Amino acid sequence: MLRRDGIKALLQRIDHEPIIANLGSATFDLYEEQDRDANFYTWGAMGMASSIGLGVALAAPDRKVFVTDGDGSLLMNLGSLGTIARQAPANLVHIVWDNHQWAETGGQPTHTSTGTDLAAIATGAGIPHVAAVSTLEGFEEALDRAISEDGPWCIVVDVEEAGHGPRPSVHVEENLLRFRRTFPSA
Amino acid sequence: MHWTDSIIESLRAHDIWLISYVPDAVGWQVLSKLEKDDSFKTVPAAREEEAVAIVAGAYAAGKRGAVFVQSSGFGNTVNSLAQLAIAHRIPVPMFIGMRGGLGEFNPVQVPSAQPIPAILDALQIQHYAPEREEDVTKLVDGSIELALASRMPVAVLLYSGLVGAKRASS
Repeated sequence: MLRRDGIKALLQRIDHEPIIANLGSATFDLYEEQDRDANFYTWGAMGMASSIGLGVALAAPDRKVFVTDGDGSLLMNLGSLGTIARQAPANLVHIVWDNHQWAETGGQPTHTSTGTDLAAIATGAGIPHVAAVSTLEGFEEALDRAISEDGPWCIVVDVEEAGHGPRPSVHVEENLLRFRRTFPSA
Repeated sequence: MHWTDSIIESLRAHDIWLISYVPDAVGWQVLSKLEKDDSFKTVPAAREEEAVAIVAGAYAAGKRGAVFVQSSGFGNTVNSLAQLAIAHRIPVPMFIGMRGGLGEFNPVQVPSAQPIPAILDALQIQHYAPEREEDVTKLVDGSIELALASRMPVAVLLYSGLVGAKRASS
């Protein structure tokens, strides 16, 4: 399946819920599909999307919070899975677009191309609800469960890399401020 | 007031709620009290850069936080500080338990701690180091207010002169 189809499926199912997008293609494709105030685009701090998402989820326990991560980035911050499992926020849905490559730097193969299993690592870290999917139907089924049932969830999605959308035109400071305004406590 | 209680009351007075940390002997003197205080949400992290990003996420959702790390792990925060907190303008009060000074027994603590003020300067992060217990409230209040107003990280360096040196036997 394509990452873009997964993003469309996610956007179809949610309203104003926050999405924290990993740097690079996860951010670019989300921006192209639907630029919305509740999108937090990251441009750097590689690996930190899931940690940012944990902070959002703890601060806003009444909203489902979605992280769209990448395999290269999650490999950089595997400890985050343990940190999330320890806090166990019921509202956090951590989606990993696993294209088996560092796409932004030339498509070099990541460790998932040689057998590293991020879903197994998530399970081992103590994440209670983990799914590994490779078709759009499988992803939609896992996503529907993650939206209707308590988490935390980690959904590792095997995606075919097919290029990505444009860079967001919204400035990083403005992105933070408009994201923040979607929360009543801010 | 004990320096640990001064820090806690400053945090409380400024509605700092989420405390993310990687523990050390200095920070734990504060953190062990915060862990038992329902007005704070404590989040142990596996690595220091996570702690900064967790606090950044909480701020993005409207809640204030602070970070506690040891000087030996400060280097691990630079990814999050530069490309997240500073770039996006997110206030992150940081409390750094400083090793590598008077009374240090561990040689590797020295070269990791000594460059921290210079690294903070290079990142344009303001930093303060209370030397006496009676200075703690003023400097911590001021640091938190500065972080919130400037929407930038601000560091409070906790040296052994204030908090006591960790001994080889301790």
